[in-house]
Amino acid sequence: MGTVLDLTWRLLRGGGRRGMLGSLLTAAAVAVSTGLLLFAVGANHAFGVRADADAWRHPKAAAGAATAVEALSTDHVRGRAVAVVDLAALGGGAPTPPGMPRFPRPGETWASPELAKLMRSLPADQLAGRFPPLAGTLGRDALVHPGELVAVVGRTADDPALTGKRPDDFGLGLTATPTRIAAFQTGAVSPLSETYRMLMLVASVLMVVPLLVFGGAAARLTVARRDQRLAALRLVGATPGQVVAVTVAEAVLTAAAGAVAGAALYGLTVPAVARIEIGGGAWYPADLWPGPQALLGVLLAVPVLVGISAVVGLRRVVVSPLGVARRETPPRMRAVRAVAFAVILVAFGAVGGSLSGMGRTGITVLLVFLGLAFVGINLVGPWVVALIGRVAVGTARGPVRLLAGRRLLDDPRAAWRTVAGIALTGFVAGFLSLLNPPAGDPAARTGRIGLSVSPARAEAVADRARERLAGLPATIRVERPGRGADDVPVVITVTGGPAEVDRARTALTGVLPGRTTATSDDDRSGDALLADVRTGALTVLAVSFLIATTSAGITGASAVLDRRQTYAMLRLAGTPLEVLDRARRQETLIPLAVLGGGSLATGLFFAAPFALGFGVGGALTLLACVVVGVAGIVGASALSRPLLRAVTTDPAPRPD
Amino acid sequence: MTEVVLSGTGLVKRFGATVALDGVDLSVGRGEALAIMGPSGSGKSTLLHCLAGIMKPDAGEVRLLGQRVDALGERRRSELRRTRFGFVFQFGQLLPELPADENVALPLMLGGTPRREAVRAARVWFGPLGLGGIESRRPGELSGGQAQRVAIARALVTRPAVVFADEPTGALDQNTGHETMRLLVEATKHNGASLVVVTHDVDVANWCDRRVEVRDGRLVDPARAEV
Repeated sequence: MGTVLDLTWRLLRGGGRRGMLGSLLTAAAVAVSTGLLLFAVGANHAFGVRADADAWRHPKAAAGAATAVEALSTDHVRGRAVAVVDLAALGGGAPTPPGMPRFPRPGETWASPELAKLMRSLPADQLAGRFPPLAGTLGRDALVHPGELVAVVGRTADDPALTGKRPDDFGLGLTATPTRIAAFQTGAVSPLSETYRMLMLVASVLMVVPLLVFGGAAARLTVARRDQRLAALRLVGATPGQVVAVTVAEAVLTAAAGAVAGAALYGLTVPAVARIEIGGGAWYPADLWPGPQALLGVLLAVPVLVGISAVVGLRRVVVSPLGVARRETPPRMRAVRAVAFAVILVAFGAVGGSLSGMGRTGITVLLVFLGLAFVGINLVGPWVVALIGRVAVGTARGPVRLLAGRRLLDDPRAAWRTVAGIALTGFVAGFLSLLNPPAGDPAARTGRIGLSVSPARAEAVADRARERLAGLPATIRVERPGRGADDVPVVITVTGGPAEVDRARTALTGVLPGRTTATSDDDRSGDALLADVRTGALTVLAVSFLIATTSAGITGASAVLDRRQTYAMLRLAGTPLEVLDRARRQETLIPLAVLGGGSLATGLFFAAPFALGFGVGGALTLLACVVVGVAGIVGASALSRPLLRAVTTDPAPRPD
Repeated sequence: MTEVVLSGTGLVKRFGATVALDGVDLSVGRGEALAIMGPSGSGKSTLLHCLAGIMKPDAGEVRLLGQRVDALGERRRSELRRTRFGFVFQFGQLLPELPADENVALPLMLGGTPRREAVRAARVWFGPLGLGGIESRRPGELSGGQAQRVAIARALVTRPAVVFADEPTGALDQNTGHETMRLLVEATKHNGASLVVVTHDVDVANWCDRRVEVRDGRLVDPARAEV
């Protein structure tokens, strides 16, 4: 083992500047992969922390003796949601709520820092008047995110706010009827948090699979650059085991350095990532750190995966040293790849339609299919590249297309690796563009406040509302009950903008104890979720494009380095640099156009059963993705042009 | 000497403090085969690179049929190399992805000849060079001697004025090397081209009409080396 490590280290150091450059490229690729992997793991962790942080507000009836009463409602101020938790102790032994030093006393309010700030900055008749006096500020354990608006109101157990039933919110977890509890809940209990966690899992699969492909590509590139040398080792009698050990040691050493750099990179970007607003606000940066165990797991797993990928890439060297050293005609891509892809498409076509009605099982099946789709695209990709190569060679009239086509046909896997990132991102873009709901129309906002009451009490409540709202620009009427409806809305229309609406809300506090007033615009939790899906989708896309472009840049540069001798000879014999560069570009852009388009269509196909709407937003997202994708590849390709120039301006193959 | 096709006068080339060429005068006649000999590091490859327009000399001039080569820009020199010169190197000059016939056709295609026509013209060279039947093989599937003969065909396919060969048999065994040199010299002469061969192998040089020797960047008594 010591000999292997020694030899590996000598080979790494003795590779010269270009060899070192190759290792640096691989390390950079691994660093980006690790950083993004940590982002995926960290985001999952953060959603988990959020779900836990929210749990205490959702009361669960005590099995034995209860010590407190808890209820939840959601109020609004200036269009922002305020979670209001009503608490009352039942004798002694009431549990201390998270983020508070003690159980609240009747007649006091504890507010989150952001709410406390708003209560101080807005006139009392618009917000502070809704609550008893402020007694303290809630700590972060009570909060989902730093900007969250939360109020904990202490009451007596016989307070009318804690005795009446609260309206159903259809399982969204925005209200909870007063419940006698023994302890505050922990773990993920809110259905909305659970939805976010599931969506994050889907997003993780969408990000992590291209990442793994990219990391694997980087590892195999190391092998590709080394294969001549390794074949030479085999020729002088190194055993396959020794060759594998040297390669794996080199790949793992490089990857370990890259992984540590990636973790540092992620640490540096956490403050920026924490600013992405999802679920109503930005993040606590600490939540985005995946924790020491997960961090260690990633730092160990990445080099191991890279090592495995290197072993896979080595198979040809080990099996046939002469094969690599002499570059025989590569085996044809087998059509079974296309068949496998078609089977995945057909299978999804058969079950996709019923997934949205299957709840969690549906999500799980979707996750499996998303994974399969990636595998399928990855399988069919090189086959399509070879097909494109064959067509290009068949139709080529000039040297550029011929060179590009022959190169594609010669090593379709290598050509696929260059465009795989963008093609897989095409899939993600296609998938997400259908999950792109049209944004709510701000012009439709109204000052309509609805209070739902039983028909018998409707007129009395309307009268009380009129009293409270005297002097405010508001009209009040009772709507006709719908057939079979339990409650009727008392509709209060407030003119004069958000300040007047908040004044009216504050004035109406207590008209229906325990119930908050809501305008039709406030009830936008569905819209908010969709908006978050949009934000998440754009984040995933940004990450995917980052992966894809980095991947294209690194593979492009490596391809130039790998072929530097051939390029130099061609230049020397008078081949214009433009011809080499155009052939190189076509080699990437032709498969990119076909595979990017194909993957995009596949993504659309997989998202079709869950389509939330396409519209202008979706079309713009798609268009932006196409533009960014092509620009990314062209840009990445342009970056390796100076390298091409550099390797071809060295005219002397030998020093004398 | 017959009409001078290529000449270098007062050629000087330095790499940092090292003087690779130190005032070399040399000319090549039409249809002549010239061997440039010398030990490793003597400057013989640098001389070839200057004569072929791959490098610009620091001083002196290179002329092809009376026209200055060294004064041309990189683009024009590149075009000149593609159209008027042919090259045969020790190894690594064939594109591994292209079959043999397309490797030979490549310079024609780079010059604008349509592919079908270029490949047809390229295949004409296979029979005379003993390559019949291997047109569709890729370089990795050729023997060393076959690969060098494909390279010779590629060097001659554009009907160049001068063929430059840098250690063309360096990677071959003695018999194959002899055969390759015979074909290179015969085919070049048959096409009316001149040949400049850089080598340190006397057997290779013996195939040429004339030889010069480079030592420490200078030609050593060329008259004495003339055959």
